[in-house]
Amino acid sequence: MGNIEEVLTIELPVGENFRIQRCRYAPTQGQSTKRISVVSGIHGDELEGQYVCFLLGQWLREHPDTIKGTIDIYPAINSLGIDSITRSVPFYDVDLNRTFPGSKNDFLPAQIAHGVVNLMRGSDFAIDIHSSNVFLREIPQVRIAKSQEDVLVPLANLLNIDFVWVHDAVTVLESTFAHAMNTIGTKTLVVEMGVGMRLGKAYGHQLLDGLLNLMAHEGILDIEPLKVRFPIQSHVGEVAYLNASCPGLFVPVIDHCQVIEKGSVVGHIVSALSGEVLDEVIAPIAGILFTIRAYPIVYEGSLLGRIFGEKQ
Amino acid sequence: MKRFDIVTLESPNRAPLRIEGFLFGSENTQGPSVAIVGAMSGDHINQLYVASQFVEYLRTKEEEGIIIGRILVIPAVNAYALNMGEKNWPLDKTDLNMMFPGYAQGETTQRIASRLFDTLKGYDYGIILEGRRDQGMCLPYVKLVQSGYEDLECVKDLGLGFIHYRPHDPVETAMLQYNWQLWETKAFSIVFGKNGAIDQSVSNEVHTAIVRFLSKREMLNIPVFEGRKSNIVDPNRITLVKASRAGILISKVTCGTHVQKGEVLGKIIDALSGERLEKIISPCEGIVTCQYSHPLIFQNSIVFRIASVELCCHLETKKK
Repeated sequence: MGNIEEVLTIELPVGENFRIQRCRYAPTQGQSTKRISVVSGIHGDELEGQYVCFLLGQWLREHPDTIKGTIDIYPAINSLGIDSITRSVPFYDVDLNRTFPGSKNDFLPAQIAHGVVNLMRGSDFAIDIHSSNVFLREIPQVRIAKSQEDVLVPLANLLNIDFVWVHDAVTVLESTFAHAMNTIGTKTLVVEMGVGMRLGKAYGHQLLDGLLNLMAHEGILDIEPLKVRFPIQSHVGEVAYLNASCPGLFVPVIDHCQVIEKGSVVGHIVSALSGEVLDEVIAPIAGILFTIRAYPIVYEGSLLGRIFGEKQ
Repeated sequence: MKRFDIVTLESPNRAPLRIEGFLFGSENTQGPSVAIVGAMSGDHINQLYVASQFVEYLRTKEEEGIIIGRILVIPAVNAYALNMGEKNWPLDKTDLNMMFPGYAQGETTQRIASRLFDTLKGYDYGIILEGRRDQGMCLPYVKLVQSGYEDLECVKDLGLGFIHYRPHDPVETAMLQYNWQLWETKAFSIVFGKNGAIDQSVSNEVHTAIVRFLSKREMLNIPVFEGRKSNIVDPNRITLVKASRAGILISKVTCGTHVQKGEVLGKIIDALSGERLEKIISPCEGIVTCQYSHPLIFQNSIVFRIASVELCCHLETKKK
């Protein structure tokens, strides 16, 4: 059984503390080999990671003798947000994942970020589990900045995910948890899967197998590595973005994670008022639809989907 | 005055979003040009007020024939958020001031930023009226981030007391000021007020500073009083006074107060029992430049920021 601790507390104004809780599993015998932090809930509306934390904790409780390293589970970093369907840090309305590495001399979100970095400092690995947001549904994928490709892609390939997306570095992403942790030497992977405010049980089990596999490879668990799927690698193709051409109601006609042909219909944008079909959304390339819009109201420009396919 | 739509965007059900601009001065003027951007967030009411009052001021000055430059004022960028008490873009909650320089083929707020930025490019000067991102209120100050293209000299013409001059944060690479500078506009922000409220005195001070700037930079042919000699401050060297406890904050001073070391600045009381939890004491002599403005305060929040002379002179002394 893991050791549950309140590892960060900050007084709130009226009879309550903000808190981050951790459940730590350590070897029952001998010295810990390595340390991994499994993190979820930096965004309060993303819940897939909560289920993965549950599954991992359940597995570890049933297999305590296999634990050779330190496994820290943090299900709810933005605990105020998780318990109130609030993506950002409530009261301040600030995206916590644009506040790292934070500062103890700044406002509450920055203090939380600073505390989180210090809590996980020294971990060999961190897995930061996100669920896209309430607007988009994603297949299990890991996103990696190009500058960290060599170190992180081999690790991501162990995670039983469907897609590894190496993207160009964007300066604004330097304010994320993953960047802050990678900068101080903790190999940190960002997992995106599912959709905000909902649970996808299958994805949770898929990532659990990936986590166990990674820990087996790294000697944190004394088990045989699992047979996992090898993810599609983004360098072999390109990503096409589908953006709404007009405002309206987006009605998809095909399922998520489906292989589609160039020119096939992904969905329609319709008018609830006039009953007209305003636009037909067409796949510009052939490939796999790895992102699809889950929230139907769209403006011009709203992201409707992403297709990964061969380079044109 | 020419009133025109800079950006229009259809909504699924609401009336279209319109970002309106008010343009003063001749298109063919030889004088310099400036664009003034007001509320980019839905809680930047003071910024909206200052900008709209400036439109009214320029309208009268135009009739007097003293506008010699080209002046564009955009009072509200995010009218959708202002109209429903939201801070960010109401659908996806993205911050419009984190979308620059924008992307014409991108997501909604990237497209809005792109279209707006197309209009803003090419101005000689860019003034961004900014609110705070925390629960504070502050004396008006200039925020000038270092992009390699910033112009420290020109912002002194505002005559405001403090210029915060510092390297840019990573998140600021997606903000208007940084990108506007890269496109060779001498852009800076004036940060002031308390989000969601209007402070008449602060509004007047900012208004006067902008008039002074436009006069000194030869866009308005109008005599002005000299402003203050600005203190160039590294914001990291301003003394922070933090709350060791959470509760209800009772402040005894206001922004601009000159306080002495050891002076009582306020207290924090337990929100339930009423017991005094903390007496807040000034650790140094200086001017309160910023204070926490919400009555409920979190533990470790910054209650006051105090600029002391020794630290404020640091940058200037180093330069000499």
